[in-house]
Amino acid sequence: MSGTHGGAASAGVMPVTAVRRRRLGSHLRDNRTAYLMIAPMVILLSVFVIYPLGYALYLSTFEISFYKDPVFVGPQFYWYVLDSPRFWNAISVGLRLAVMVVPVILALAFLIASLIKTLGRRLAGFLKTTIYLPTVVSGVVASVVFTFMYRSDGGLVNGFLGAVGIGPFTYLSNPAIALPAIAVPAIWLGIGVSTLIMLAGMLDIPETYYEAAELEGAGFLAQIRYVTIPLLKNVLLFLFVTGFILAVQQVDLPLVMTGGGPVDATMTPNLFIFTQFKDPTPYATSFSLTVALILFFVLGLISMLIFRLVRSDKAVDG
Amino acid sequence: MRRRPLARLATFVFVLIVAVSALLPVAWMAIAGFKGKTEVLATPFQFFPEIWNPDNYLQILGDPVFVQAMTITFVGAVIFTILSLGVNSFAAYAFARLDFRFKRALWAFCILPLFIPAFAILMTSFVVVSNLGMLDSLAVLIIPGVASAFQMFFIRQFYLGIPLVLEEAAMIDGASRWTVFTRIFLPLSRAPFVVVGVASFLAYWNAYVWPILTIQNPDLFQIQQYIGNFRQERGNEWGLLMAGSFLSALPLIVIVLIFQRYIVNGVRISGLK
Repeated sequence: MSGTHGGAASAGVMPVTAVRRRRLGSHLRDNRTAYLMIAPMVILLSVFVIYPLGYALYLSTFEISFYKDPVFVGPQFYWYVLDSPRFWNAISVGLRLAVMVVPVILALAFLIASLIKTLGRRLAGFLKTTIYLPTVVSGVVASVVFTFMYRSDGGLVNGFLGAVGIGPFTYLSNPAIALPAIAVPAIWLGIGVSTLIMLAGMLDIPETYYEAAELEGAGFLAQIRYVTIPLLKNVLLFLFVTGFILAVQQVDLPLVMTGGGPVDATMTPNLFIFTQFKDPTPYATSFSLTVALILFFVLGLISMLIFRLVRSDKAVDG
Repeated sequence: MRRRPLARLATFVFVLIVAVSALLPVAWMAIAGFKGKTEVLATPFQFFPEIWNPDNYLQILGDPVFVQAMTITFVGAVIFTILSLGVNSFAAYAFARLDFRFKRALWAFCILPLFIPAFAILMTSFVVVSNLGMLDSLAVLIIPGVASAFQMFFIRQFYLGIPLVLEEAAMIDGASRWTVFTRIFLPLSRAPFVVVGVASFLAYWNAYVWPILTIQNPDLFQIQQYIGNFRQERGNEWGLLMAGSFLSALPLIVIVLIFQRYIVNGVRISGLK
């Protein structure tokens, strides 16, 4: 194709075609290498993520039974779910758990990260590792430990309270306290990563900003309010949204600690999906799956928005 | 300068409070494992045992099911970590450096799972793995989670930061893209690989819901499954349960202590901020 013009071209143009041809050649080679390198990822995601998602969408809009062909029922399951008080209870439990967990994590992480920033290298290193350590404990083990800590005989919490003459209380069997009792291990498990991310954000703020603020006569609190928080806005937003999404999806803690009880007081959305999934009554699986999809639409949308926000902001900042 | 000793004391107290609250549950679990059957439930409660008794630890380590669960989970976690590092870093390199047709579409495809919560596809993933005959095998625990949009994204961010001059020199010398990847990118990947690898290992080791759905065979029980079952079946042997729980978390604690420098600085190379 380029050969037809090649004859008319002067000697000076020839290298250009040659370069173009070589670039095309390496481009083709890139294609093959690239496809080989992303093939495992694309295949695995297709089989274990994208196909199951499509299949879930299909199952949530078709009525399946053994003796009939699948019948398209449109949004019928969705209306059914939205009509179910247990669904709204689960949403409310998830939201309340997030409200108990996320602000506490953010506030504590902010406080601890500010502290670490002022420490010497060795002490800072020690505290960073210490605060991260709970992160590696599994939800199951955290559940077991905190269940034990809440016990009335031999439990640490009642032991301490008893020492100052209060209690003993029951925690996990009391519908009013069970959810806050689950929020505590959730905070304990989640605080490490948030603190480290917050600290990284704080260390990115140039020290000159603080010096300038100090020259203007800003005290410690004023510096936090007018320098740290505004410049940390994106990190805070990111941590708020990801923390929120994680907290709403909490499942291991209520599954092991309370099984969702007492009287559904700790039935988080994912635990609800899980228990419905194991329910043998007809349409329970379709129901569970539709709940999962509704949650996916809402949470997926939120995380996509936040992802855009963080990324676009990065592009603006350079 | 007058308030300096006071400020230092306040800092010290604060560091102490933070460290103690972070470590207390783990320490208490380890200590409760040394208590006898009645002592562990004694009222009024005592933090330390009268006599440090290693019986619980010896008994749980003598339980072949526990040892097997630890071993098989460890083996699975190692295979899982290696496979995820391979699969995700290959794709990360291709998206960071190579130019190919349908790149944008394939990128969107590979990044989409970032927005799909695991529970949205829990049930249909279960149907898929059971149709593939993968139930009750190590494969069902390992394969479905290997490809990770998040890890691929993380490694790609790191690769984007590697200067182009390094590979240009090699490619002028006639090195192939593959050689560039294995000789230049992989040796530079230690830091992100540690962060991502530890995250993979943790995710596998701590998984609970997926194993209890897909594994019925006691020979393949995962460690969290073992602890969960123990809690349900022998839930009142608290000393034993605490010893087992602590031992089950110990490998992860050791891993974090080994790699602490990489992990606590991991967020800085993530390109998150």
